[in-house]
Amino acid sequence: MSNMLEIKNLQARIAGNTILNGLTLTVKAGEVHAIMGPNGSGKSTLAQVIAGHADYEVLGGTVTYQGENLLALEPEDRAREGIFLGFQYPVEIPGVNNAYLLKAAVNAKRRHQGLAEIDAFEFLKLARERMSLLEMDASFLNRSVNEGFSGGEKKRNEILQMAMLEPKLAILDETDSGLDIDALKAVANGVNALRDPERAIVLVTHYQRLLDYIEPDYVHVLSKGRIVRSGDKSLALELEEKGYEWIQEAANA
Amino acid sequence: MRTSALDQDLFAAAVGSMPADELSAVRNDAASRFASLGFPTARNENWKYTNLSGAAAISNAWLREHAGVPFSSASITRPGQAESTLLRQIDANWIVIRNGSVDMNSLERTRKNYGAVINFSHLSDRTAECDIDVDDPMSAFNAALLLDGLHISVSPDSDSLTPLGILQIDDPSQQASQVRIVLEIGRSSSLRIVECALSANHGAQFTNAVIQASIASNACLSHVRLQLRGDEHVGVSRITATLDRDARFHHDAFDFGGSLTRNDVVAIIAGTNAQVRLHGLYLASGNQHIDNHTRVEHRVGPAVSDEEYRGVLSGRSRAVFNGQAVVFKGADGTDANQSNHNLLLSSQAEIDTKPELEIYADDVKCSHGATVGQLDEASLFYLRSRGLDQGEAKRLLTQAFASEFLSELSVEVCREYLTSTLDERLADLVSDRHL
Repeated sequence: MSNMLEIKNLQARIAGNTILNGLTLTVKAGEVHAIMGPNGSGKSTLAQVIAGHADYEVLGGTVTYQGENLLALEPEDRAREGIFLGFQYPVEIPGVNNAYLLKAAVNAKRRHQGLAEIDAFEFLKLARERMSLLEMDASFLNRSVNEGFSGGEKKRNEILQMAMLEPKLAILDETDSGLDIDALKAVANGVNALRDPERAIVLVTHYQRLLDYIEPDYVHVLSKGRIVRSGDKSLALELEEKGYEWIQEAANA
Repeated sequence: MRTSALDQDLFAAAVGSMPADELSAVRNDAASRFASLGFPTARNENWKYTNLSGAAAISNAWLREHAGVPFSSASITRPGQAESTLLRQIDANWIVIRNGSVDMNSLERTRKNYGAVINFSHLSDRTAECDIDVDDPMSAFNAALLLDGLHISVSPDSDSLTPLGILQIDDPSQQASQVRIVLEIGRSSSLRIVECALSANHGAQFTNAVIQASIASNACLSHVRLQLRGDEHVGVSRITATLDRDARFHHDAFDFGGSLTRNDVVAIIAGTNAQVRLHGLYLASGNQHIDNHTRVEHRVGPAVSDEEYRGVLSGRSRAVFNGQAVVFKGADGTDANQSNHNLLLSSQAEIDTKPELEIYADDVKCSHGATVGQLDEASLFYLRSRGLDQGEAKRLLTQAFASEFLSELSVEVCREYLTSTLDERLADLVSDRHL
């Protein structure tokens, strides 16, 4: 199978601080990758660079998505081409209706694909179906985007957007942090239901706990802006046992 | 900027040529008052940011040719597209005022619809019982050159179910117009007004409208004002509402058009437990200038006033907000809140905002706040990461900011029209080439 995402020697900085220092990673369709690492190792930066946040400046290296240069695309075009970023801190947007955003997002992608826009009836049907998957109340649709949502509600809302947009490549940035066990299970069930041979998922996480519920094919450890170790899910267990210092020492040696 | 002053000789001649009728005494009194004041200039603190020299130039031309001449309805062709759409979409009993003159057909229709609930008469027939305000220069100018005005009184203990629509539509052929409406809302009655101002054509025009309202005890006046003037229009408007005990005054003002617009809203709380709610939304692009001055006088307490104005500015536009709240000595139990929030979509747009509190009573609760900001970058990126393009994301966030009041609009029937007009206007602002 061809590579969905190919990152080679990526270097990036924000506000003058270089965060990514030659990161290399390859992700194929159908795979679930977990990227772990201590605070400041560059996990979120990687997620933001892939989504196209303008504050992050790419200094070198390449990011190839489905054979194309991803870095040349605007954030909205990346989304329409099938990239989804689940935010670590989803933004509250008072006055913008959740249903309106979901529908606008789905239709932006459909237009890009040359498909007819989804009508109100089909949209509601699809949204209700995806919400039940995440054990979300239908009233979510009529609320402002993330406004007044609890931490768990915000993360569920991110996965709902993912479920509606059906991305080819989903990057979930610390979707598990700050969640109680029930919310974590609901989010993990949602993600598992979206596992698909055509879809790649990259889980960015600080904690091994998420991987008890979403089993990754590969685990990578990030330190100082580079992947210092890759392995299967047993690497996550080893990290849990020995802590990040073990990897960092190994990387420095 | 053109600098021209109003020609006092032309003014005196125009006043002299006004008809001799019941309003003559009012006009002469107003004229002598205006003669000593003239058009306000930047030396007047209340007019520091708003230059009326454009209005003076238009007025000079008008005084030379048209002042004192009743407007002939023959020169206005069939109602334009904008007018027809508005009359169709808002379910109200409409009175149409063309170039300052009341369209008698519309008045007769409306009079019949309300029957005994609302009495409509010519201001000239009511000079004995009502005072015509001439306290500020523009009101004096208005009264001095007034051909006639409209007096509307709502009988006590009555509700008018269908809102009263007042459409002011002006045509540059007439250049300037003076409108004066006196409203009396009887005890325990309510009146809902939707007032719209349009331009029939492009071209330089100046309108100067004054509404004086007195709201008797336990009565309610809900007033929506929607200004959609053409891009060379200069408009000055003033509404003064005096509230008796338990009276309510709700005013929602939407300024989307015009070249230069100045609105004064004055609410005088003269009875206990009165409530004043003022909402304003102004959208400006290009070189538009919109100035809102409000003044709430808490003469007695307890009473409540809530005021919020919001603005969205793009291009090189400029807006002014000045909100005065005055709490008189002894007006204890006053609760006065005021805020002004602005969204600047361009680095060249300018807002001058000034909340002013003057408190002479002891037991009061007053708050005020003003903010000026840009669209939130994190929200923009979030929306774009979901596939919305930059323009759509900006429009959506701007709409969210501007739509704040629509959920609690004073006159429900204009919601749909207002929402679609707002969306259209916001699309212009977001795509303003000076962004």
